[in-house]
Formats: sequence, C-alpha cells, structure tokens
Amino acid sequence: MSRILGLVLAASLLATPLRGQDSLMARLRRQADSLLSTWREAQLLADVADSLELVRATAGSDTIAVGGLRIIVNPSPLPWREAAERAWSSIDSLYGSAGEDLPRYPYIFRAVDPDSGVRRAVLHVGVELPWDLDVRATTTVLLSTVVAPDFDAALGDWLGAALRPTPRPQEDRTAVFVQLVTVPSEAVRACFLGDISRCKDVLQVGDSTGLLERWYVTPAEREALVTEGFSDYFARGATAPSLQSCRRHRDDACTALLRSLPPRTLPRPLDHAARILLVRTALRAGGRDAYRRLVARPNAAIGERLASAAGMDIDSLVVRWRNDVIASRPRPLTLPWWASFAALGWTAFFGFCALRSSRWRL
Amino acid sequence: MKRWILAGLVGCMALALAYLPPRGAKSSGRSVFMAQPAWGTPARQRAQALADEWRVADASLRLLRARRHMQVLMRGASAGTSLVVVNESAEVMTAAAPVADSAIHVAWRQLGLGETKVRVAVIIELAASSQRRARPLLEAGVATYLAPDSAHRTTCVAVLPAGSYWTRVFRGARVSGQLPFEAVVQFLKSGLGPCAFYAAYGTPSNSVRAWLVSHRWDLALTLDPDPRSRQGNSPIEMADRENHSWFWEAVYALPPSAVACLASRPDGCRDAVFAGAGDDPTVPVPDIMRIDRRWGRVPRLLEGQRFLGDVARAVGRDRFVSFWTSPLPVDTALAAALKRPVGEWTAD
Repeated sequence: MSRILGLVLAASLLATPLRGQDSLMARLRRQADSLLSTWREAQLLADVADSLELVRATAGSDTIAVGGLRIIVNPSPLPWREAAERAWSSIDSLYGSAGEDLPRYPYIFRAVDPDSGVRRAVLHVGVELPWDLDVRATTTVLLSTVVAPDFDAALGDWLGAALRPTPRPQEDRTAVFVQLVTVPSEAVRACFLGDISRCKDVLQVGDSTGLLERWYVTPAEREALVTEGFSDYFARGATAPSLQSCRRHRDDACTALLRSLPPRTLPRPLDHAARILLVRTALRAGGRDAYRRLVARPNAAIGERLASAAGMDIDSLVVRWRNDVIASRPRPLTLPWWASFAALGWTAFFGFCALRSSRWRL
Repeated sequence: MKRWILAGLVGCMALALAYLPPRGAKSSGRSVFMAQPAWGTPARQRAQALADEWRVADASLRLLRARRHMQVLMRGASAGTSLVVVNESAEVMTAAAPVADSAIHVAWRQLGLGETKVRVAVIIELAASSQRRARPLLEAGVATYLAPDSAHRTTCVAVLPAGSYWTRVFRGARVSGQLPFEAVVQFLKSGLGPCAFYAAYGTPSNSVRAWLVSHRWDLALTLDPDPRSRQGNSPIEMADRENHSWFWEAVYALPPSAVACLASRPDGCRDAVFAGAGDDPTVPVPDIMRIDRRWGRVPRLLEGQRFLGDVARAVGRDRFVSFWTSPLPVDTALAAALKRPVGEWTAD
C-alpha cells in the first residue's frame, strides 16, 4: 500500500512542472485574448479619435480648390492660391484627365511661425510649413508632395522614384543628356550614338533577361563595377577569393560576383531621371488620357504600358525620348571678353611669384 | 624680404577688393526650419501600446506551444539531430523550405555546432500574405527565444519573423541565381542568437545568466566568427566611408561608457560590459527573450552583439566554459577566463 502511495506521490511530483506549464499557457492565452479584445476596442476608439482630430485640425481652415487640387490650410500669409494655380498647370500637364481624381487626396498643411523659439502645438494631422515661404517655394512644396493617382508598385519599382511634375523640365532633360555622354558604359554610349536597342536595354523597357551583360557589356566595365562599387561588400567571407580573381582581370569571377548580388541591387547605368523622362515623354505624346492608360494594367510589362500610354510602339517612343535628350545639350559656357586676359594675368602673376620665391627656386 | 611682404599685402588687398562686397555681406534670409513629424493621437498611441503588450503575450504563448510541438518533432527526428527547423504561417506549422533548411544547417556547421546536448528548434515565422486587421501585425526584426528551464533542460526554441522579404524568398518566389545563398545562411545564423550559445556551451550559471538577461543578451547575440561579413558592418567602418557620414549619428547616440570604450579607455569598457551586473535580477520562468535587431537600437557597447563570441574565440572552449558555468560573480569569472582585466581586454 505504502509502495503504491509512494508511486502516486512521485508521479504527481514529476507532473508538477507540466501542470505548471499548462496553467501558465492558459494564463497567457487568457492574457493574450484579453489584450486582443482590448486592442480591438482601442483601435475603434483610435479610428474615431483620428477622424475627430482630422475635423479639429481642419476646423477654421480654408479650403483652396484649384483644378483637382484641394488644399486645406490654416489662415497664414502663404500665397496658396497663386502657388496652387502654378502647380496645377504642371500637375494637369503630367496626369491629364487622371488629375480629376486628385480631390481624393487633399493636402492638409499647417503654416507655423518659422521662429524656432516659438512653441508649436503637437501635430497629429498634415504637414507643417513655415509661413514665410514665397510663391516659388510654396509651388515646389505642392509639386513635390502631390500624390500620383493610382500609382502602382511595379511602376514605382521600375522608376525608382515617385512620378511627380517637375518645376524645371529643361534642367531635368539636360541632366539626362549629361549622363548619356559621361556615364562610362558601352551600352549608354551606344544609345547616345543612336542604337535604340541599347537604349531599351539601359532603360529596361525591353527584354530584361541577361541584364548584367546588357548593362555592362565589356569585361572592363564589370571589373570596374565590382572593384569600385562592391569591393567592401565582396571583400569578406566566401566571396573574398573571387574578388581577388576579379582584380586579376578574371571576367568569370567578376560576372559570378555580380550575379550573386541580391535582386534589384545591380546599379543601373542611367539613374531614375532617365526613366522619369521617358515616362514624361510617353505621357506628353499620349494626350490627356495617357496617364490613365499607363496605370490601367499594373501587371503588364513596362514597355507595353509605356507604349499604350504613348499610343505608339516602344521603339518610336524611345527614339522620341533620345531625340528630346539630344536636343537638351547644355549650352556651352560663354566667357566675357576679358576673362581670357584675366586668366593670363593671374597665371603670369603666380608664375612671377614662383620664380621670385627662393623656396621653390632650384 | 620687405618687398615681398609688401607685394603679398598688395595682392591680398587686390583680391579683397575684387571679391568682397564693399558694404559687407547680406544675410541670405534663409532660416533653418525643422518641421515636426505627425504624432499619433493619444488614443492611437494607447492602441499601439496595447498591440505591443499583446505581441509580448502572444510570442510567449507561441513559444511555449512551439516547444511542446517541437519536442514531438525532435523525438521523431533521427538520432543525433540537434537542430530542427520548421515554417509557421497563420499558426500552422509546415516543413521548412528547402533553401531555409539547407541554409540553417550550413549555418549550424559554420558555427562549429554538431550534435549538442541542448537541442535547438527554429521556427521561421512567415509573413501572412493578407494583412489582417483583426490582430496587430507582427514585427519583423524582433526575434523571440525560449531558453531551457527546469522542465525542459535540453530544448531552446527560436522564433524568427521572416518579414516580407525573406518570406518571399522562403516561399520560393524570388529564389533565383541572383539570390546569394550566403545571405540566407547569414540571416539564419544571426537568428540562432542565444540558442547558439546554449547549444555550444550548455546552460550558463545563474550569475552569468542573470547578467545576460538583465540586458536581453545584447552582448551575446551572435556566435558567428565573422559577424561583420555582409550585414553586420561596424558603424565606425561605415562612418569612415565616403557618403556614409550619416553613420556618425549612430556613433554619437552611444552612451558615454561606450564612447569612452571607443576611445580605448579600460574603465569605460568595463562599465559598458558590466552595466547592470550585480543588481541581481531574477531570471524569469519561463525564460523568454525578446531581441530587437532593428536598425536604430542603441547598443551599450559598439559591436557589443559579438562581445561574448569574441571572448569565446579568444580564450578557447575550456576557459570559456569555465566562465560560462562559474558560480562566481560575472566580472570575476570573466576576468579569470581572460586572465587579464576585462576593461583592458575589451579596450584592446
């Protein structure tokens, strides 16, 4: 009898930790369930509080409507209407008929004293701006914060930037021209010289298989990319020997290293400005509904979407883009007539100083 | 001599006349304006705080449930298996993706772990494909660990939220020739965290464990011999690179003792290493560790996550085990293992 009692006692002692764990799990489950239901209630309350805060923050504010723009602002000296009129013409020319959807995304601004010593109320809704901005700066704020209607992730990934109107279209085109003639890439150079298939490669609007060889055509480019752009990345661990081989001009090692980069980290030969310019070219060519057509099929290939937006085949669009870029060659620097004399004078002055100096005389 | 001084002065005068405006420079009128970010309403902040509390409770519950489940799996596994890995999505456990399974076994071998007394169960928590609003979103970058305890002396459980990027990788959508296998190994190797120490050296003594628990194992986050490879680049190295000067912000955010240690002051290093040691914190039961690896965390010691891993490599296994299991106060035990003052060793 005593042996049976002993066994029962031992079994109950051994089971104690498991029972303890069961009760702990039950307690944790109750706690988690309770917290979850409290969180759901808190979320509902927070939604209500947020909407009330939105009403409170915009109470007493002015709503400025210009075209599709809706700007909710507190009274301030900021030149909102004039800036909105300027901004709207740029926005309308980019998004066309899709600009009618912009009232869905109203701006909410709070103009505040630019003096950093003035205490500001906590901001829950909208964006703060100092009230001493001029028309140009205010317009830039509107242009740089406008929400592109129905802008999808695929388009954003390809572009690498938001698609917004630019206050300086000519400068943007010129910047792309400078890239086209200065980027040390055979593919880009071929594009500059008129090879449209190369332009499509560097813009990534055609066949994107074998992107590495399409973008970095020669072994020297691939080696330069690895040794200048990724030497720190590849210098440690298992890739260090391959990096050494690449430095010894082994193209297979350089190519293998570049292929091992995580997806979408291979640097583009031309930066996002070139792609944005291509989209702008397509939208300009396609008329007022071009933007709607561009965002209508998010799952289609980018080349098809651009061609559909522009209303022309992709090759013609790329030709037009290239022509636009080539036409935006920066103006050569013009020097006043006396500049060459000044340069000669300074050269002579420093040369004279150098000759007279005992320290530098041999 | 005097003529050259005179000529120099005349030259300076000419330059000043040519380039300096005679009436003095005018202010550009541009002031530096810093807009404040939009803060959540108090109600929203309360909801977020509740969500955080729920995440802690849910993670604890998940770990305890997982330990029970994994013990069944481990019993069914072949003899000599010390590492089990599974995927979990929407509270359903499935076999780990082949790439994850291979990568974590490679990581296990790279850490020098074979058949270990403390076995490790890794649960890779895949992000749900549809984000439900019925419960708070899980935070990628916050891993949870359940250390062995008196009821389960030989099991350490790690739950690693994969986040959207790694979830896509483990679901196979982005596995391609471009995905470096080594990156997957690195991710999972760092994810083993404290469980790697338990597997390598067993359960630490109470004093060492209390010291580690008091700072959430921040000095023992990785056993990797080369944690700087790929992702763990030192902020100092990064700050010294061109176009990375913003990394200095991370350095400036360090606590004073870490900055002193950075300047090779042994006292600062010692203070940083033993901050909070000896306060005798109680080790909770169950011992659940929630480790935040997200960017922006301010460490108490630069590169602190590899501190104990470096100690282990420097002193060798036997001396490290003697420290790890020592009943002595942690500063004494560590100095004995290093055979020199801890501050000096760290400063070096």
